[in-house]
Amino acid sequence: MRTPYIRAVKAESLKLKRSPVWLAFFALPLISAFFGTMNYKLNIEVLKSEWYSLWSQHTLFLCYLFMPALIGTYCSYLWRLEHTRHNWNSFLTAPLPVTSLYLGKLTQAARISVLGNLWIFLLFYVCGRLAGIQSPFPKEALEWFFCGTLGAVVICCVQLLLSLVIRSFAVPIGIALAGGILGLYMTNQDYGMNYPYSLYCLGMRANNPNMEISTSTLTVNSIGFIFVFAALSVFYLRRHEISSN
Amino acid sequence: MITLRAEFKKIKRKKIGLTMCALIGVQFVWLLWSGSRPDENERLQGWIEMLHSLPLVSVIMMPTIMSVLASRLADVEHKGNTYKLLNTLRRPGALYHAKVVCGALFILAISIAQFLFVIALGYARGYAGHPEWKYYGTTFVLNLACCLSLYLLQLLLSMLFFNQMIPLVAGLGGSMLGLILMYVKMYSFLPWGGFLSAAQVNMDWNPETRIIHLYYREYSPVELCAVAMIFIWIVVFYTAGRLLFTKKEA
Repeated sequence: MRTPYIRAVKAESLKLKRSPVWLAFFALPLISAFFGTMNYKLNIEVLKSEWYSLWSQHTLFLCYLFMPALIGTYCSYLWRLEHTRHNWNSFLTAPLPVTSLYLGKLTQAARISVLGNLWIFLLFYVCGRLAGIQSPFPKEALEWFFCGTLGAVVICCVQLLLSLVIRSFAVPIGIALAGGILGLYMTNQDYGMNYPYSLYCLGMRANNPNMEISTSTLTVNSIGFIFVFAALSVFYLRRHEISSN
Repeated sequence: MITLRAEFKKIKRKKIGLTMCALIGVQFVWLLWSGSRPDENERLQGWIEMLHSLPLVSVIMMPTIMSVLASRLADVEHKGNTYKLLNTLRRPGALYHAKVVCGALFILAISIAQFLFVIALGYARGYAGHPEWKYYGTTFVLNLACCLSLYLLQLLLSMLFFNQMIPLVAGLGGSMLGLILMYVKMYSFLPWGGFLSAAQVNMDWNPETRIIHLYYREYSPVELCAVAMIFIWIVVFYTAGRLLFTKKEA
């Protein structure tokens, strides 16, 4: 027997079928990896920490500035399907709990974030080998991946809430870009752990792969943010009259 | 004029102005944050340093801001399914022109606000002397032209695709490409690299002394061609957009 959650996830998958939205998650990390590796090779006399130097080149701009906006684009797309025409009527009258409907969307956003992160790591490994790095692949990369993914899910929750409340497709993306830029400031001021858009970069150690961060604090804060923003979204869906265009 | 007025009526209560203010506000916060406590040497180089940091801010934020602006203006037509009204009340060319002018007015307001802020910030921080008006004026005009070319490109994409994800991802990709190109060379023939060609200040960094020397740029012939390319893009995107818009079916 399929639970309401599984049914919601399947429904969302059907809505996204043949939609080329995943292409963006493929293209942007590719650009970043290509130019990052090129920059690494050109400055190899200065960048001596091999995998760690290459990691910064690959992820610095991508994680701080573009991944939040990219996740924001995906979340905007997920809600745009409901915001257009009379889809809110069918969405809210679906014979499933609102929480399951929301979790269906969150699962899709989280899934693309995980796949996007896997792609970033795959590119990192391949480019590293192509750039001639012979040392073993850093073991810490697994931790970067898990912490980064958790941070990405936090951004998914924030952006899903914004795109739910704001009917415009573009405005939440602008907010995500601004959030990512402000994340630079917050991380610099040591408030990164308390700011949703900074958790992804901190988790990925985008600025400094040797950075020591408290993994437990990052995990607890991320789960806290996920819970708060998910609860706010479900609350909004339950309490507010949402009309179709 | 009637069509332009209609364009502004269409976006009434869409809070496009507020969105633009918020996004440009982030630029201001960034500029406020960078070099917030200048020492004596930084005050001496303040005005030139300001012109040096502007392209970085613009190259990161402006392509996305332009894609948001264009998407908001085009989305009105998609959501209202108004393409079926083309050729009925006004000529499609006039409608497209009104959309361009409407966006251009927003861009002009953004650019003026940005420059007034930069100049006010410079005086508030007590930078030595006054801004070099020749370079500041050139930067203003070229920045405006870059924004306009990107807006026309984004408007074209936003009108073409119902799925607004495509133009917005193009804007984000453009931001990223422009930022990365900045570390390769200080000019580009691509539309997103226009801000680099428009930069009036170059930098020399001595790895031994670790001293940064900023100086006003002398354009080489290739770099001048890259500047001219900004204006060529405006013509290309305007013509292509108008052609596609007038031939668009509902």
